[in-house]
Amino acid sequence: MHRRDWLKTFSMVTLTGLVGCRGYQYGHLIKPEAVNMVGSHEAGAEVFDPLIDEAVAKLLARQNIVTDDCPLGPNGQPMKKSICFIGIENKSSEDIGDFKDKLYSQIDSEILDSNCFQSMSKRMVDAALHETRMRPDSLMLPDNMRLFTAVLERSGAPVDYLLYATLTSGTTKRNSSTQRDYELSLELINVHTGTADRLNAEVRKGYHKSAAGKFWNYNPLKR
Amino acid sequence: MTQCARYRCMAKETRAARFSILGYLAACLLVLISNGCSTHSKRISQPRNLFYDGQLTACREGLEKLAKSNRHDRDVVNLDLAVVDLLSGQPKQAESKLRAVRDRFDHLEQDSIAEKTASMWTDEQVRSYAGEDYEKILIRVFLSLSSLMQDGLDAESYTLQIQDKHEQLTKSLAKPSAPPEVSPTDSNLPDAVAPSKGHGKEYQPLPLGFYMRGMLREATHRDYDDAVRNYEIASSLLPACLPLQWDLARARDGIHSQPGHGVVYVFAMVGRGPYKIEVAEQPTSDALLIADRIVSAVGPYKLPPTIAPIKIPDIAVPPSDVDSVGIRVDGHSIGPTASLANIEQLAVSTYRANRNSVIARAVARRVVKKATIAAAKKGMGTDGLTALGMDIAGIAWEASEAADTRCWGLLPRDIQVLRVEAPAGDHQLQLNALLGNRPVGPAQSTQIQVIDGRNTYVLCWFPDSRSASQIMCSN
Repeated sequence: MHRRDWLKTFSMVTLTGLVGCRGYQYGHLIKPEAVNMVGSHEAGAEVFDPLIDEAVAKLLARQNIVTDDCPLGPNGQPMKKSICFIGIENKSSEDIGDFKDKLYSQIDSEILDSNCFQSMSKRMVDAALHETRMRPDSLMLPDNMRLFTAVLERSGAPVDYLLYATLTSGTTKRNSSTQRDYELSLELINVHTGTADRLNAEVRKGYHKSAAGKFWNYNPLKR
Repeated sequence: MTQCARYRCMAKETRAARFSILGYLAACLLVLISNGCSTHSKRISQPRNLFYDGQLTACREGLEKLAKSNRHDRDVVNLDLAVVDLLSGQPKQAESKLRAVRDRFDHLEQDSIAEKTASMWTDEQVRSYAGEDYEKILIRVFLSLSSLMQDGLDAESYTLQIQDKHEQLTKSLAKPSAPPEVSPTDSNLPDAVAPSKGHGKEYQPLPLGFYMRGMLREATHRDYDDAVRNYEIASSLLPACLPLQWDLARARDGIHSQPGHGVVYVFAMVGRGPYKIEVAEQPTSDALLIADRIVSAVGPYKLPPTIAPIKIPDIAVPPSDVDSVGIRVDGHSIGPTASLANIEQLAVSTYRANRNSVIARAVARRVVKKATIAAAKKGMGTDGLTALGMDIAGIAWEASEAADTRCWGLLPRDIQVLRVEAPAGDHQLQLNALLGNRPVGPAQSTQIQVIDGRNTYVLCWFPDSRSASQIMCSN
């Protein structure tokens, strides 16, 4: 190799080096109407958003019918039912990480937006759980429920209903493809009568190791 | 001028040009050698000793001076400074420093071809230090601890980041050899926990991350299901750890604490942790001889002889005379702390997973240097004494390399935890370094306040039986 050739090679290497600099990280806002990103390994907004919308809509639709029998308030309108949203229990096979509090907040907001329920502050619910030292799942026992609602009433927040949300999943496997059915159950318990109402919403999602997995497993010719 | 005189004059000019090039090369080598001789491990040794002697102020001064004088060391020195801040009662400053380094390491995960090229002509120390995998995970652990020592506002986010980072690192490591699993796992454990990614158990996550998340979820008095899930993962990673089984049983069927009681979590950092040292790699030198033959075979190059050994960093862990910390509350013995983060194991295993790429870079660098000298020799048509001079210069250039020993130097060997439930109010907490369940060194006491239904966090570090421990309390 001649000296000039060698210098040319060296200059090319150096120039390439100077061009390959570290980049920055960028962010962008997503318009509300834009579709959610679909998680490749586990459920995300694309699963939880429709689950919550459907489950809460079903709950409100059913409770609106009952509202007709409810006592009327001073303004002649049916009185709002006071609901205490205890929390979400994740019984699915996935860890939902930071989604749990978001799901709570989303369900709570949608209930609060309705005309038939009056939601209770999460801080108040937390304070009552802290004071009574009861596990959420132990509130179904009549004595515990009475004690818990008494604490809330003492704080100026009488309760008509307790609301539990449970996230479950079921997995079906076929070679390298997996179908996971996510179900969100909302369980509404009337603290006065002890009766329970339960509503479910379901979203199914497929996971594949190749892009053709979706077509192969879910094409119209497949039974 | 006769033809003979003209040739003599040209020969003189060529000789002068050769000597000027040699002089230039020698000057370059002097600069490189002077840069290459000093390593981070040598520069950091004094502040580290001051830290273990309990002289935090002097240690901080030394580290700050080092951060100012050497910009390539700044990030790792800031990590050391964060530990000093945390143990001297300034968790906010510690969190701020750790966050800055976390973001910078994330940024530096992108390759810079400019730095890579420069490192081929010098050594690894010219590259910006992007952190070892274990350091990236531990930054998030220390961020969680720093947050817990204040208001705990971001502690939960940091615990999630520990898992996320581990998962990301495991996947990036798996990329070249085996593709990551695409389908969701069928167990209750997240992908991050599954060790079978083609790397055996070397990249197991830290149980401490899951434990802290479980601890925080349990403290809500509501999300016991999350606590169970996280304790389950932690106990699956440490099946022999009895306290984890108690935590799991409590989260499944019990409650956070009895009415009128609160909980104290003692986070004990035990022993002196891993740091990097420079070692000469013999198998790599053998590999280099093969590389010599290849370079010689592809062209008529006379290479400088392979004399200077390949220097690469390795992880060293000093022996420890403390293996746990005994806790007493108001004079009553509670028990020893249990290990939830074996940092020594994490550091060694994660470094081992990346070691081949370090060696590959060292060999490639040496080949580039040899090829450069060979090409220069051929280009200038050197022979005899000049060729010998260039060979010597080449050897000196190769010998000027130093291993990149930059690392987070002030780490413990182990992070251990003990949970104590106590009645609300003030209590005397006594801590004692233990070796084989026998106390070594003097006991240290502090006053703590237990709050009804809430968690109180205590942080201490027993580097050895002689050093005085720093004890921090969240309230």
